[in-house]
Amino acid sequence: MAPKLPASSKGSHRPAKRKAESEPKANRVEPSEEWTGFGGEGEGIEMASDEEETGESAESSDAEEFPEIDPVSSGEGEEEEEEEDTSETGSEEDDDSAKDEEEEDGESGQEEDGVEPPPGDSALMGEGLKWDRKPGSYPNPKVIKSSITGEAKKVYPPIEPEYDSDSSTEDDPNRVGRIPMHWYDDLPHIGYDINGKRILRPAKGDELDKFLAAVEDPTSWMSGFDHTSQKDTQLTEEELDLIRRLQDAEVPDASYNPYEDTVEWFTGEGKQEIMPLTARPEPKSRWQPSKWEKQKILKIVRLIRAGHIVPNKPKAKQPQWYSLWSTEAETSRPPPLVAPKVPLPKHAESYNPPEEYLPDQDEIDKYEDLSDDEKVKKYLPKKYDALRHVPAYEHFIHERQNRLLDLYLAPRIRRVKLHINPDSMLPSLPSPQSLRPFPVFEALKMSGGGGSRARCVSVSPDGVWTVSGDEDGVVRLWETFVGREAARWKLGKRIGAVEWCPRKDVSYFLVGIEDEIFAFMPPYLSPAMESATLDVLVPRNPPPPIGEEGEKPVKWSQESLSFKQSASTFSSPPLVVTLPPTAGLPKQITFHRRGDYFATVSSAEGHNAIWIHQVSKRHSQSPFKKIKGFIQRVLFHPNKPHFFVATQRYVSIYDLSAQKLLKTLYTGSRWVSSMDIHPTGDHLIVGGYDKKLMWFDLDLGNKPYKVLRYHTKAIRSVAFSPNYPLFASSSDDGTIQIFHARVYSDLMTDALIVPLKVLRGHVVTEGLGVMELKWTTGLGTCWLVSAGADGEVRVWCN
Amino acid sequence: MGRELKKGTKGPNSKYITRTKAIRKLQISLNDFRRLCILKGIVPREPPSRKKANHGNTAPTSFYHVKDITYLAHEPIIAKLREHKIFLRRMSRAMGKQEWGRAKALEESRPRYTLDHIVKERYPTFIDALRDIDDALCCVVLGASLSQHRRIPKADLDDCARLAAEWQLYVTHTRSLRKSFLSIKGVYYQAEVQGENVTWVEPYQFLQKIPMDVDFRVMRSFLEFYKTLLGFVFYKLYTDAGLVYPPPLDVKKEAAGSGVDAYRLQPVGGAPVDQEETKTTGKKKVELGGGKVLTGRQVQKAIVSMEVDGEETEEVEGNPKDVAAPLATAKAVPTSTQALDTDTLPSTEEFIAQPSKTDPSTSSTLLTLHALANLPNSNTKLFEPYVFFVSRESPRHILEFVIRSFGGVVGWPASCGGGSPIESEDDERVTHVIIDRPLPEGGVLSEGRRRRKYVQPQWVVDSVNAGKVLLEDAYAQGRTLPPHLSPFGAEGEGAYDPLAPVPGMEEALREVDEEMEDDEEDSEDDDDMEMEEEKEEEKTKKRHRRGKKAAASAVNVSNPTDADAVRKAELEAERLGIEPAEFDKVLEKAAKNKNRDVEEEEGDDEDDEEPKKIETTKGASEENMAKMLLSSKKRKLYNLMKRTNARKEEEKVKLQKKKIEIAKQKKKSGR
Repeated sequence: MAPKLPASSKGSHRPAKRKAESEPKANRVEPSEEWTGFGGEGEGIEMASDEEETGESAESSDAEEFPEIDPVSSGEGEEEEEEEDTSETGSEEDDDSAKDEEEEDGESGQEEDGVEPPPGDSALMGEGLKWDRKPGSYPNPKVIKSSITGEAKKVYPPIEPEYDSDSSTEDDPNRVGRIPMHWYDDLPHIGYDINGKRILRPAKGDELDKFLAAVEDPTSWMSGFDHTSQKDTQLTEEELDLIRRLQDAEVPDASYNPYEDTVEWFTGEGKQEIMPLTARPEPKSRWQPSKWEKQKILKIVRLIRAGHIVPNKPKAKQPQWYSLWSTEAETSRPPPLVAPKVPLPKHAESYNPPEEYLPDQDEIDKYEDLSDDEKVKKYLPKKYDALRHVPAYEHFIHERQNRLLDLYLAPRIRRVKLHINPDSMLPSLPSPQSLRPFPVFEALKMSGGGGSRARCVSVSPDGVWTVSGDEDGVVRLWETFVGREAARWKLGKRIGAVEWCPRKDVSYFLVGIEDEIFAFMPPYLSPAMESATLDVLVPRNPPPPIGEEGEKPVKWSQESLSFKQSASTFSSPPLVVTLPPTAGLPKQITFHRRGDYFATVSSAEGHNAIWIHQVSKRHSQSPFKKIKGFIQRVLFHPNKPHFFVATQRYVSIYDLSAQKLLKTLYTGSRWVSSMDIHPTGDHLIVGGYDKKLMWFDLDLGNKPYKVLRYHTKAIRSVAFSPNYPLFASSSDDGTIQIFHARVYSDLMTDALIVPLKVLRGHVVTEGLGVMELKWTTGLGTCWLVSAGADGEVRVWCN
Repeated sequence: MGRELKKGTKGPNSKYITRTKAIRKLQISLNDFRRLCILKGIVPREPPSRKKANHGNTAPTSFYHVKDITYLAHEPIIAKLREHKIFLRRMSRAMGKQEWGRAKALEESRPRYTLDHIVKERYPTFIDALRDIDDALCCVVLGASLSQHRRIPKADLDDCARLAAEWQLYVTHTRSLRKSFLSIKGVYYQAEVQGENVTWVEPYQFLQKIPMDVDFRVMRSFLEFYKTLLGFVFYKLYTDAGLVYPPPLDVKKEAAGSGVDAYRLQPVGGAPVDQEETKTTGKKKVELGGGKVLTGRQVQKAIVSMEVDGEETEEVEGNPKDVAAPLATAKAVPTSTQALDTDTLPSTEEFIAQPSKTDPSTSSTLLTLHALANLPNSNTKLFEPYVFFVSRESPRHILEFVIRSFGGVVGWPASCGGGSPIESEDDERVTHVIIDRPLPEGGVLSEGRRRRKYVQPQWVVDSVNAGKVLLEDAYAQGRTLPPHLSPFGAEGEGAYDPLAPVPGMEEALREVDEEMEDDEEDSEDDDDMEMEEEKEEEKTKKRHRRGKKAAASAVNVSNPTDADAVRKAELEAERLGIEPAEFDKVLEKAAKNKNRDVEEEEGDDEDDEEPKKIETTKGASEENMAKMLLSSKKRKLYNLMKRTNARKEEEKVKLQKKKIEIAKQKKKSGR
């Protein structure tokens, strides 16, 4: 708030008071506001509570703006300025005020001469003096002799506040203004009076005193606590009336009349506006008939006369009903599906049903306990002895509405309803007799004695020999039928895999150890067989090397024939295939059906993992330049040039002759552990470390046809029986499970898989169960040989 | 490589849109959309995958096929609805400005639409429409029974009443009502119209309490369509029956409360037919309202009808000059199905099957018209010989409709409405009085009462359903009525049939008998004798049943070595007509298997039971095995079917047990 009237604090009230009298109401309050900026503390000038906080800063800033504010030094010039202002603004004032000004001039001059009224003087002014007031004029000041200075001074009459003047606060003896009174809570006084004197806190009695006072004082009901004076104050009649009016939602001002008579200024007799609003002359069209309209009407008239237009002609009424279906349908769109009809009523709905339909008390109770949604039928059968007793059905309209809602809200689907005997859905099971034979009991238990795990096992194609390799690097040769250990080779390295050559005319097996694959011959071979085997393993004239000479990653080396003549006494392998040094341990050796090719899977990653070797040509090749993932297993297709490669999650089928990928099977397993193919080559089983066994029908698609989850631990090995419709799986839970798997040659019938038997016997050691299993082929038996982590090789017989 | 497709623009699920999207596409309000769907018969579709169809959102919404919505978008009614919206705006403005002339002009040019093309689209042929009028009829009949309500305009109710009456009139006229059923929900009727079964249900005539939660907007939309549909169907039916549609309304009769009779059937190009008169004139007076001008065509028609309708000609013979009389009867209209009287079918229409010479076994015999007409179920002249009087407490509208549909004449007291052809119960012609009151105590039967039959209303309906006039005694006044069964058949194959004999009922009753006998000591011996006789009878019956050979063995099994027994058996065998050679064979066999047979006989029951048990357990295990082999989807279906069957069977057994219990109770209390 920038003060517009710079003046000294001394002479401040006078012009203010004068103005309040002479100027219109709105201006009257202003001086007091304008003064607040100067904030003379001792002056008791009213100050808004929110300005209090900024009081000091405002003061300082004001001091900067008006450095000559010092009342003593620079009062005069500014006073003059002020007076000029007022004279300018109040130019239309009457002569009286002009006189006043003159008088004032004199006065102020007087005062500035050193006559300083006491600070409290202004409040006391007019006390004891009487003013003769004339309505409409301001009484003249009286000249009295000051009691302090003893000089004559003018005393103006006190201003009588009107309704909307801000005088109400001026009456308040406590001049602190509208501030939170708790600021004074810790002080002995509650504020200051107009003279800057402290107003002491009135005595506050205790509750009893208050109560007594309230009892004694008949006016206590009309008094309330006044915060500024910190005591009970009695409300005046006017205030009470004001409160009552506010409570009754009336106009607070008693003198205000909301229903004043209307004053007719511009209406009524003799008060009409005579002058037109515009001086524009009236257009011609106002009184001249339109030529164009006339022409138009004439045209219509002519048409009517000619009979082209018949007014109010009745419209040709089409009959409401006619033969709708006498013409062909226009749209080719098929009509919407017809909604099914409401089922016809049953006997139970009769008004007089047979008695057995009537519910007994239990049924009624049960029905009534159901909520409306749960009720299948919305009614209970009831019997009436005569038709006249039958009441109206309460749900009739509801049922109809529900039907209508069904008609337009329910999707319509043509559902095939089966009217068949459910038993006809069951597949015709094979009789249990037809599923035999299958291994049912443990016939032999062959133990190496070392206690180290038997990692791998293989059975000779004639079924006579079983070879097993354990983790200590010992390869044992057993007689399958009696369980005698016929031979033993200590290789001293970890054995990854053993595999017997499937050829019937020769007899040897391969053992995979770190970076090397050894070919061994069993002892006690017939001479013909022995020579044939030696021809294969240690030919007299080795085949010429294929391809260019140079460093080959895989080396074939054989014992010289002269060194050992009798193969049965071989203690070292006659043939050694050395894999590249990065290949690692061969995990799997698998032969092609003909026995000439074999593939090895090593633990290495990348293309070095798979090698396909040809025995007759002493040649090895890595079929994949680059392969993604970690190779788990490989397989040759029994009768096609296809090659199965199982990575961690997928099984890829490659055509080796065309050298392309045929198909990828999604096993759904997280880690494939083993794989075998059905002898017909159309079905594949895949075992996973996540306990699942997946059956793939290779004709069907790339997802498993069946997923069997019967093992409780990871599956280690799966194998199809070569000559019976059986397959087996072994797992880390120590069990071997035998399944019947009947495969039909016609494409329509699905393969039939029947779980047959769970073989238990292997002891789980260190979380490992049955490591590998193999079926025997020869002699028309369906025996099973398994190698367990407990170091035992067991034979299971039918 | 083409451009990459945006997700969700291809495949079966992209063909579905949600309702909100459909509305946005059509740019109409939800109410209009609903109405349009009702009128056009567009229903939501179920997409193959709700989630995919709604772009991953699984909130419950209804889906519409895109093609359905494009089909709706081409509907001319949408334009009319928009015009109507504008009309309403203009109208309200005119009314607000008090421009009455303008308002009147607007009202005259108010946009109206018809649903004719929609009826044609939804039902391309008449028979399609006829097959689907069940719901329409139910709706209309309900509307006819409703009292006035602030949410249903009176015009709609009047239309409903008119359509319901027209339908009843048609059914009565063509006598196509087949079945009727008094249920607790209302009265079900089934009519056979042009080979289609039409079923509708009518509530009992009470003031319907209209529930608050019924959406009348839906009901009105349906009614709007149904009115049009029924109008066209009725037009076709009436026209095919040679009648004028809509039938003119006799205001006086309607005011008198004669119901359906207020509408008069009018042959095409002829004078209106008074139903009642024709009915009564069938017996008594064959007269024509005097001073009618007959056209040549009418005479021709009459002659044709004389040739065709044997009965009518007989009656007409008495007054041969009144050739128009049969014309006046509704039956005379040749298109009516009833006019095909089988006796008078020309002999040239006889179809004689010519057997094939090469292969005599294959001769296809088709049902001829003659045979069809003679089928037992089409007995629509059931009540023709009778005159009924419906007393005031019986539901007149039901009985009137049923009786008339089967050729009977009905009268009712004046308190039930005007227009009755028979004034009082004491009229001599009355053969049956349908009465639903209990018999007054000590009431003396008057002469008239003895001549007439007093039956309860159920008799009419049961007779109609049975296809023959049942004996009145069981339905006589004051009697406890036999149960009223649904004519619409049992629930299905293997469901409970209340009329079928219950296994174990006889035994249960016999048990009750025995208990009673224990109480009654006096007649002990006689009963025993009776029992023995009964047993013997049963035995012989069994023998007959098993066949001769079995019987012979049964005779022999007892003791084949005993000479006397053999002799007896021989005689028995002779009596049964078994040849001696065969008898000898049987005897030998019996001798061989003597021991085993005897054992078997002794321990027959026990031995039988045990293997059964084993079999069942075996069966269960095998079933379980087989179930394991099913795919889970099929297994679920299998289990569901099994469960459903088991539940049905359980219900059936429960009802049977209840029936036996009730029979036992009755027998006990009856003695």
